[in-house]
This record gives sequence, C-alpha cells and structure tokens, in this order.
Amino acid sequence: MQRSQEAQVKLLVDVRLDGANQLSQFPSSPTLPAPATPPPLNAGPPLLQVRNLRTWFPIKRGVFQRTVGQIKAVDGVSFDVQAGRTLGLVGESGCGKTTVGRTILRLIPATTGSVTFKGDDFFAHRGEDLRHLRRQMQIIFQDPVSSLNPRMTVGNIVGEPLTVHNIAWGSDRVDRVAALLQRVGLDPSYASRYPHEFSGGQRQRIGIARALALSPDFIVCDEPVSALDVSIQSQILNLLDDLQRERKIAFLFIAHNLAVVEHFSDEVAVMYLGRIVEKASRTELYANPKHPYTVALLSAVPEPDPRPKKTRIVLSGEVPSPSKPPTGCPFHPRCPLTREAAKQANAADTVEITTAGERVRVLRKCVEEVPPLEQKQGEPGHVAACWVTR
Amino acid sequence: MAKPLLELRDLNVAFNTERGQIRPVRDVSYSIYPGQTLAVVGESGCGKSVTALSILRLIPSPPGKVLSGEVQFEGRDLLDLSEREMRGVRGRDIAMIFQEPMTSLNPVYTIGDQIAEAVMLHQKVKQKQAYEIAEQAMRDVGISDPGRRLFEYPHQMSGGMRQRVMIAMALSCKPKLLIADEPTTALDVTIQAQILELLRKIQRDTGMAMLLITHDLGVVAENADVVAVMYASRVVEYAPVEELFDAPLHPYTQGLLKSVPRLGAHSERLVSIPGTVPNPARFPGGCKFHPRCPRTREAAAVAGAETVEVVTAEERFRVLETCAVKEPLLREVSKGHWAACHLAEGFESSPTTRPDLANKRAVVARAVGSMIT
Ligand SMILES: Nc1ncnc2c1ncn2[C@@H]1O[C@H](COP(=O)(O)OP(=O)(O)OP(=O)(O)O)[C@@H](O)[C@H]1O
Ligand SMILES: Nc1ncnc2c1ncn2[C@@H]1O[C@H](COP(=O)(O)OP(=O)(O)O)[C@@H](O)[C@H]1O
Ligand code: SF4
Ligand code: SF4
Ligand SMILES: [Mg+2]
Ligand SMILES: [Mg+2]
Repeated sequence: MQRSQEAQVKLLVDVRLDGANQLSQFPSSPTLPAPATPPPLNAGPPLLQVRNLRTWFPIKRGVFQRTVGQIKAVDGVSFDVQAGRTLGLVGESGCGKTTVGRTILRLIPATTGSVTFKGDDFFAHRGEDLRHLRRQMQIIFQDPVSSLNPRMTVGNIVGEPLTVHNIAWGSDRVDRVAALLQRVGLDPSYASRYPHEFSGGQRQRIGIARALALSPDFIVCDEPVSALDVSIQSQILNLLDDLQRERKIAFLFIAHNLAVVEHFSDEVAVMYLGRIVEKASRTELYANPKHPYTVALLSAVPEPDPRPKKTRIVLSGEVPSPSKPPTGCPFHPRCPLTREAAKQANAADTVEITTAGERVRVLRKCVEEVPPLEQKQGEPGHVAACWVTR
Repeated sequence: MAKPLLELRDLNVAFNTERGQIRPVRDVSYSIYPGQTLAVVGESGCGKSVTALSILRLIPSPPGKVLSGEVQFEGRDLLDLSEREMRGVRGRDIAMIFQEPMTSLNPVYTIGDQIAEAVMLHQKVKQKQAYEIAEQAMRDVGISDPGRRLFEYPHQMSGGMRQRVMIAMALSCKPKLLIADEPTTALDVTIQAQILELLRKIQRDTGMAMLLITHDLGVVAENADVVAVMYASRVVEYAPVEELFDAPLHPYTQGLLKSVPRLGAHSERLVSIPGTVPNPARFPGGCKFHPRCPRTREAAAVAGAETVEVVTAEERFRVLETCAVKEPLLREVSKGHWAACHLAEGFESSPTTRPDLANKRAVVARAVGSMIT
C-alpha cells in the first residue's frame, strides 16, 4: 500500500522533473479546456504597484516587553493590479493575505516596501492628501456581522463615508444612500433599520454599498464570501462582478477557496508563509501550475463530483509558524518534490531532515537557499519560487 | 438483508424561546448501515446539528425538547433509555466530533488525561493501560511522537492537530458510529485533505459507520455513500451520492449544485438561488422553499395556473398556490430516490415511505502522499 503510493508520487514527480509538456500527465492537475485567448494583463501602467512589501510584527516578552523576535507575516511581496482587473490572492490561513491587504491600505504600518497608486507613492502621503487618496481605496471584510456597527442604522453606515469626506448631506445623502442600497439589491426603505435585522448575505450587501459610496477605483475584498452560505455566495460574487464591469473597479480578491478565486480573478498569486510562491494569469495558473505547493493545493480541493478523477496529494505536516519559518525554501519540510528530486541527486547534494516525525532526504539547496520568484516555462509572467520546477 | 445500525424515524425537535416555540427539526428520518457514510448537507440553521445532537440526547433541555420520533440503534430506541444507559452509549457505541475542536477540549487538562479519561469511562482498565490505549489512538490518527504529545495541553496544538486529538478520543473506544459535525470546516484545505483521508482509512480498517454533517458539496461528493439534503428543518431530498449529483430532483438541490464555483469551469456568471436562508422563527408557510424556488415561478407563468403573489425584501413575483399553501412531504419519487416537491415528476402518485438506503459508493477518491504529521 505504502509502496504503491510512493511509486505514484515518484511517477508524478518524474513527470515534473522531465520538464516539457508534463502537465497533461500530471495526475493532480485538473483537466481544463484550453482558454481561447488569455486576457491581456499588462495593458497600460498598473493602477497599483506593490514592491518588496514587508510587514513584521515584533514578538515581545517579559516585564520590559523586550522584542525577542519578529513574526514575518508578510516578507517581501511584489505585484501589480491593473485598473478594472482582479488579482486573486490565495493561500492557507496565517499565510499573510489579510496583512497584505491591510498594509496596502495603511491600516497596518509596513515594515519596508512601497505601494504606488496611480503613479504616486502612496506611503509618502500625509494629512488631507492621504484622505483624498483613501477615498479611492476601500475594503470589504470577511465577517459581515462584526464589520458593521450594530448601533448605527443601515443608512448611516452606508452614508457615513459621504459625510466624513464632505461629499453629501441631508436629502442629497439620503438619495445617494437609497441609490446605493438599490444597486446592491436591497430595498431603500431598509436605510432606517439596524444590521442585526439582516441575514449574513444582506449584511455583506450593506458592507459593499458602504465601500461603493465614495466611488473607489480599488477595493480589497478580504474573503468576502467565506462566511456566507453556499446559495448566497454566488449572489454576492455576481454582484461584485457586475459592479466591476459597470464601474471599472480593480479588486485585490483575497480568499482561500481556489474555485472561487479561479472564477473571479484575471491573475492569481499563491502565498505561502508571507511570500508569493507562484503568480500567473488565471488560465495559466490553473492549467499549468508549477510550484509543488500550488499543485498540492489544487489537488486538495474536493470536487463536487461523486466520481473524482484527480489524485489527491496529501501533504504531510502543517503550515509552520511565521515566527520560525524554515530555512531556505519555506516549503521544504512539506514538499514532495524535493524528496523525489533527492533520490535522483548525488548524495553530496542532499541532506536528511526530520519533519512531522519522519526522517526524509531532501535537496541541500532547498534547505539552504531561498529560491527566487522567477519566470518559468510557459506564459510570460508565469513566475514561481522553486529550485526544481522549470 | 443487512439491517441499519441507526434508524431515525420522524424526529421532531422544538426549542422554547422568548419569542415562542421554534421547530428546527421536522419529521426527519434517515438510516445508516454498518460501514456506510450518510452525509447530511444543508445551509446554516437548517437543523443538521440539532438532529445529530438529538441522536445522542445532547440538546440542552430546557429549552430544547424532542416532541416525537424514534432513534432506533441496534434494536432499541435511544429516546427510551435512562440517562445512565445513555451514558454507556455515548462515546462507546456512538462518538461525536465537532467543528471547533478547541471548544470541546478542556484547556486545563493534558491531551493524555482527556483521552485516558474517555477510555476509563467506557472500558474497565487501569489508568496506566488507559494511557497506553490513548497513546496508541494518537498514533493511529497520525500524530507523531504521541508519547510526548500526551503531556501537551490543547492550546499548544494547531487546529488540525486538535481535530486529530478529537478523532483519537472519539475512536479510542472503537465506536460503531461516528457523528462528525463539520469536522473540517474550520481547517485549511490541505489539512482537510489529511483529516478526510484519515477518516476514510479508519472506516476501511474498522467498518465504522459515519454520519457526516457538512455544507460543502465537494466533501459530500467525495465521501458520502448516501446523501440527505436538508432545507429549513426538513429532509427535502434523499438519494445515493451518484444519483443525487447526476439527477437531482428538488429545485433546491439543483440550485445548490449549480451555484458552487468549480475548478476548471470558466463560466461567466454563476447561477444563484435568489432570496435568503430562512430563519426557523419565521419559516414561510406551504413549501418552505417557495419564496426562493425558480420551479414554482416558472409554473406560475403558465396560463391558467392558480397563483398567489409573494413579496420579499428584494422582489415581487407569483408562485403556484399549492406551493404557497401546502407543504410537500418526502416521497419516494423513483426507486431509491426521495424528494419533497409537488412538481417533481410523479410526485402525487408516489408513496410516502421513510427514506432508507443501504448503498455504498462506487468510486473512492484516490490519494498519494504521507499521512503522518
Ligand atoms: N439551544 C438553542 N436554543 C434555541 N434555538 C436553538 C438552540 N440550538 C439550536 N437552535 C436553533 O436551531 C436551528 C438549527 O440549528 P442547527 O445548529 O441544527 O443548524 P445547522 O444546520 O447545523 O447550522 P450551522 O451549519 O450553522 O451549524 C438554528 O436556527 C438554531 O438557532
Ligand atoms: N497584530 C498582529 N500581531 C501579531 N501577529 C499578527 C498580527 N496580525 C497578524 N499576525 C500574524 O500574521 C500572520 C498572517 O496573518 P493574516 O494576514 O491575518 O493571515 P490570513 O489572512 O492569510 O489568514 C499570522 O501568523 C498572524 O497570526
Ligand atoms: S525549492 Fe525545493 S523545497 Fe521549495 S518547492 Fe521547490 S523543490 Fe520544493
Ligand atoms: S413544492 Fe413548489 S415551491 Fe416547493 S420546491 Fe417544489 S416547486 Fe418549488
Ligand atoms: Mg484572513
Ligand atoms: Mg451546525
């Protein structure tokens, strides 16, 4: 049993190492119809440019609250978001997705790095300038229950940004709020009610109406449907989709559900322990995943099909803590690829490690050096951080 | 003919709240055979957990009360047992694991203490032996270095590890039935894959039956033998897993299946079910799905149909009068396939039998890779 499983992993990895044209045979990659034409991703200068973003949280101990270490929640992340487009950000809990979104909006201070919005250094702005830029960047939260003030009416929740930014008062504000509620599919008479009177999906609509109030160009959607029931998720996704088309809003779409991200994004970045380990256009990433973590993640999604066709790669161990990330490639303790590659490598190029109670042999390079995020074979712009995949 | 291990017959449960009585579980029947996995799927508040807790007589009472029904387990009705007899059933014959393992583990005792206590409650063994059984149970669920881990506290472990501990505890007495209530909902997808693979392996090795409660249709499709779909307190569809996914009969099931985004399906627009998930304090009359049902709206558009108007927060439309007034009860619409919908083909002439299927699934999901953590 164990042996035959090993043989299968080996087969799968051999195919990988072989390089060219491996993916149609790779058992875990879902069989996808080839996309007609991938959307042009680099049309014009990006709306938002994120470069080498780091967000570290100090670990403090003792009476004097001495800093004894750093949690590297985000550790060197770079990407662009095009106007009117969606960049999906996926990864398991704790990998840093929310921190990326919040750091970009300056809800959390960045440790280092830069964010350029419409060609402007966003981190350099202060005071009135900053307020003006902030109007153009909004956020929608995961939890529609706790993200709305329970003591404010729906009308005040949605209209508050209009008052704060001196945009509309009195009957003008009432009219605008009514139009916003209508647009997100709620009856305008709801303006006088309180959030607790609404279901999760309706509260998420209220949150969206509020985010739209200032006509932003960019919205961070942080797991906007994760807390919702299945039948409500698609309502909200369709609404966000319509709004993007109508108003040319760019989204940073954060989620852990790979099928939702695939449905929604133009481009997708996969995060692991504070870093992007793979990024490509949506069609390319799902049809031709390169990083072994992406491959495992895709294989782990349960298919709503009682005759599942794909073979699941069950990764050993759990995501390590970002306060003690592994050396070299952060994925090496769980990576099936480095174990297989080590079997074919010179003994001198390998080392034995203990991980999740097992002793396994892996490539020395994976333990000692951080792989750069670099172009792989495939579509231009398809980057991955792995020493072994090509 | 094999006999079901557990048979739920027409269970009705109520809670007395400040705003009056609510009835989140109505006429629920299902059966589970040895080695079988019955998946109960439905959205939040539809009554999945209350049904499961009623099997073990764990609903808080008051305010909760089983109004009527039977829970037949190996020839006796669990609802008739004394509390003492029931304690013998819980954990030994039927074990349960919950969505959030942290809330069901005691933070002030070590993992070893807690598993050993569960063991000693049901088996006549000394403390030392109980710890040995606990250590073995932890090894069986893929926890590395169990000898050391026995002395750790719950907060020292990750979510996936705590769920393994819960499973180890549940399995330490070799139950015949495991009730798993959203066992992987709080976990990441790679950890979910580990836990589901583990549960399948245990079932293969021990022949344990499982009641798997989930809202994830992917988890249902890959793990269930038979599926019960619940909507607003009732089972509205019941069928073998392949049949349910190939030919769903109830418009709610059809809507759910169409509305989940799937990997590799690049549809421009998702199909969605309109309206909101109903709250048991304000269930609509007639068929509880009628304010959201596309089928009755279509039927109402046909000339000559007897219709009534429905007004919701979002829209105004007409539905069939029958749907708005009369609640359809589960019927065996085709052989081995139950549905509760007036407009399902042949519904009127079908028998109102209790759903009961001994089916096993044809294809089991394949997995490669290491199980040990
Ligand atoms: N102790 C209680 N008192 C009053 N109402 C209750 C109690 N326990 C459960 N309910 C209600 O019973 C209904 C069904 O609850 P249940 O937990 O079975 O739903 P569920 O389908 O499992 O939902 P979820 O998927 O959100 O866990 C809910 O509306 C819930 O609010
Ligand atoms: N304010 C904070 N102080 C310390 N650690 C934090 C703080 N916020 C987030 N973290 C840690 O940073 C990591 C990434 O968090 P987050 O971005 O919220 O993850 P995700 O959204 O991907 O689930 C986690 O390990 C989390 O515990
Ligand atoms: S660099 Fe090595 S450890 Fe990291 S993903 Fe690639 S093969 Fe695996
Ligand atoms: S009975 Fe009527 S409202 Fe209910 S599911 Fe069938 S068609 Fe829809
Ligand atoms: Mg988050
Ligand atoms: Mg529940």
